[in-house]
Amino acid sequence: MHTITIDQLTFRRKEGFQLGPLSLSLERGERVALLGPSGCGKTTFLRLLAGLEPADGGTISFGEKLVTDGKRLTPPGERRIGFVFQDGALWPHLTAIEQLRFADPALSRPDALRLLERVGLGDHAGRRPRKLSGGEQQRLALARALVGEPRLLLLDEPLHSVDVHLRDDLSLLIRKLAEERGLGLIVVTHDREEALAMADRLVILRDGRIVEQGLATELLTRPKTAYGAAFLCRAVCFEAAKVDSGEHAGRFQTVFGLLPGTNGLSPRPQVLVLLPGDVRVASVAGAHTAQARVLSVAPGENGKMATVELAGRSLRVPCASSLSPGSTVALELCGAPRFLERDASAPEGGG
Amino acid sequence: MRRVPYAIALGFCAAFVLLPLLAMLLDSVRSPSGFSLAAYGTILQDATLRGQFLASLELGLVATLLAWLFGFGHAYLTFRTDLPGARWLGPLGILPLVVPPILVAMGFADFADVKGFWSCALLLGLSYAPFVAVLSARGLRSIDGRLYEAGLIARGRGPAERLLARMILPEMLAGCLFAFIFVISEHGVPEFLTVKGKTWHTYAEGVFSLWTRRATGVLHEDLVSPTVASLPLVLLIVLALAIALRLRARSSVRGDQQPLPIRTLGRWRWPALLLPLFYLSGGVGVPVVVMARWAAGSTVVNQPMSIDQVRESFRLAWTEAGGDLRSTLWIGMATTLILLFVALPLARRAARRSGFVELVSVVPLAVPAILLGIGLVHVYNHPLAARAYAHLGDFYDSFGIVACAYAARFLPFGVLPLASAARRLPEHLEEAAALTGRGAAARTFRIYLPLMLPAIWSSACLIFILALRELDLAVVLPAGNGTVVRRLSNVVHFGGENMGGALALCLLLAALLLPILTLLLTGRKLRPLS
Repeated sequence: MHTITIDQLTFRRKEGFQLGPLSLSLERGERVALLGPSGCGKTTFLRLLAGLEPADGGTISFGEKLVTDGKRLTPPGERRIGFVFQDGALWPHLTAIEQLRFADPALSRPDALRLLERVGLGDHAGRRPRKLSGGEQQRLALARALVGEPRLLLLDEPLHSVDVHLRDDLSLLIRKLAEERGLGLIVVTHDREEALAMADRLVILRDGRIVEQGLATELLTRPKTAYGAAFLCRAVCFEAAKVDSGEHAGRFQTVFGLLPGTNGLSPRPQVLVLLPGDVRVASVAGAHTAQARVLSVAPGENGKMATVELAGRSLRVPCASSLSPGSTVALELCGAPRFLERDASAPEGGG
Repeated sequence: MRRVPYAIALGFCAAFVLLPLLAMLLDSVRSPSGFSLAAYGTILQDATLRGQFLASLELGLVATLLAWLFGFGHAYLTFRTDLPGARWLGPLGILPLVVPPILVAMGFADFADVKGFWSCALLLGLSYAPFVAVLSARGLRSIDGRLYEAGLIARGRGPAERLLARMILPEMLAGCLFAFIFVISEHGVPEFLTVKGKTWHTYAEGVFSLWTRRATGVLHEDLVSPTVASLPLVLLIVLALAIALRLRARSSVRGDQQPLPIRTLGRWRWPALLLPLFYLSGGVGVPVVVMARWAAGSTVVNQPMSIDQVRESFRLAWTEAGGDLRSTLWIGMATTLILLFVALPLARRAARRSGFVELVSVVPLAVPAILLGIGLVHVYNHPLAARAYAHLGDFYDSFGIVACAYAARFLPFGVLPLASAARRLPEHLEEAAALTGRGAAARTFRIYLPLMLPAIWSSACLIFILALRELDLAVVLPAGNGTVVRRLSNVVHFGGENMGGALALCLLLAALLLPILTLLLTGRKLRPLS
């Protein structure tokens, strides 16, 4: 049975932005990350789920209970959800333990202390938010969201104000707490690493609509859209003009010359998608190589990486240390070319 | 839960602001023969009133210019430069607000010949400069120093200063417009100067004089003349108020930011002290010293000033006007409580949604206090109204109506700062509380009110001070006769300066009660109210 079912949800702002229609369902205990660039409607979606904004249309059901149906709106406090705001939204005049006990007056002091202990704030029970670091504040916000046995945890960019070196710890804690309590989790972020650290399923949003969704492992290796590939896998897309139908999938004119298409391609216009690692420096120029200009060479995790400019796009390729900026280099594909349906607004990304 | 206090607050506005004004407006167009605008025709053609209107306008402009000079100069020098003692002088910029304008006038009149236009403008400029000082300081505080520094790096000092001037302009102009509104509505000081031999009159004086003449009038035009005559003044104030509010809304106080860099004054560092010192000594020092001298018997013929005389003056003040002092304090406290009770729900609503609420809350400022008082008399001295509040006793003659009238008059000073503070509260804090499922009462008392506490306390201090110094409403309402300010203004006519001096000092001490309590209880640095 689904924990949450969202059906044809829509929301329109005065400024003209429209979210949806959007449909999504979450299994019990499932962890989902909502990814997308700024302004795509991620936070709005979360607020609609929490009941902080009324939807214009569509429905949201928590289990069997309809909480939003355009006319009725179950108040946020009756939805049994935990919400971690981007900035924590901690009440500045209450101590850590008071924050938890305000959220649930029935929570005993020992239980509140245990919860604070669980998030690593056992020694900070009497401190007010301004006496806590950014990471500690988010831990406290997390503890507060867990009070009252929520069935779903909503997190709006929870690592935003946390130091980079503390992010792994916090994301691990969030994941573990959700697993321990069997909580469903929806995390909103524009950071791929954050999403992968906390969620198993990814939903990519653009201009208020879902572009692509699936298991993280699938989307990372086999993106289904050019937008998803560019956003999630940092892929770079190039024009691919179909020149003949051929026997099966036809051939495409690309920056790497004429390349054979793959089976199952739709008849719609396609683009050549290069994921990191799909391209290498060729030893000699040939029919399936492309000339690129070296912009810079810098140390990478596995040796030197060159940033090169190819057909107006920049991408990064592993290289020998002898390359120098300004020189020209021949690039070749490492494996079979990957074509995806052209998407006019696919973001341009670095390789 | 939230709707009940809001409804009560709206009810209060209706009863003490809208109803009196509406009743007067209706009366002014209703003649025994039906609808008539004849009264307007008669009054608006009155050359005397036209002359008074122009005199008020002129006085307003000059006094506002002086208020800008003192207020903005004080704020800029103490907040932005390395002026000696700036840290201490800065917060004192609000202090002249504690002293009723009538006391400033009485203080100056004691040692100088203050009877002309320029004297009047100077006195009112000093008295209302705190509005400019407070709002300018607020403007300077709200600017992120990095914006100024970016301008400094890109274009140099001149353009950076011009950029800064543009950024604080909305707050500064709003302060000037508030000062202007109060100056042109002011009745007490120009009237006091009349006693001293002034040969010209302001519009507020004209309206009051029509009101006093109304008692003997029989014609419909006579009876409605104060209302009708106020119309041009109301229109002028509404215009100034609309601009002031627009300007104030345009500015914003932000949270985490870098303060503006301090400018060094170089060899002007010490000479520049003259401006804040003149402002503070004129607005506070002179009246306090003169009142102290009066209390010491400076005006008692054939007697040197002495400590014994001081004791005698305070004894006299206590025996003759102790009741007035007590009732003034009660009125001040009651006004503060009523106004906070009314302003908090209105501010909460105004912060999140409606411009309507803000509009209603500034109406009392749009009419001269005298006119609001006349309106209240009009409604609550009516047999119908008397029957309606019969169970409250003699409400019309009680301090209750004075406190309600003051609360209505100062409504904007409760609603506007509280709404501004509520707007600055991150919305997430209330949303986080809503997500817990706690009831509206718990959320209000445990989250909203504690977060608003600094603003509530600041507003309370301001309202208390304003209530203690209000003269114009006290002049019109019968129970206003029992206030200290009213008695002090009588000193002008009937003498008794030694007792008056002691009483004035008591009043000033009382006005400082809440700010001093703040300092003692919280140990916090005194910050200008904003």
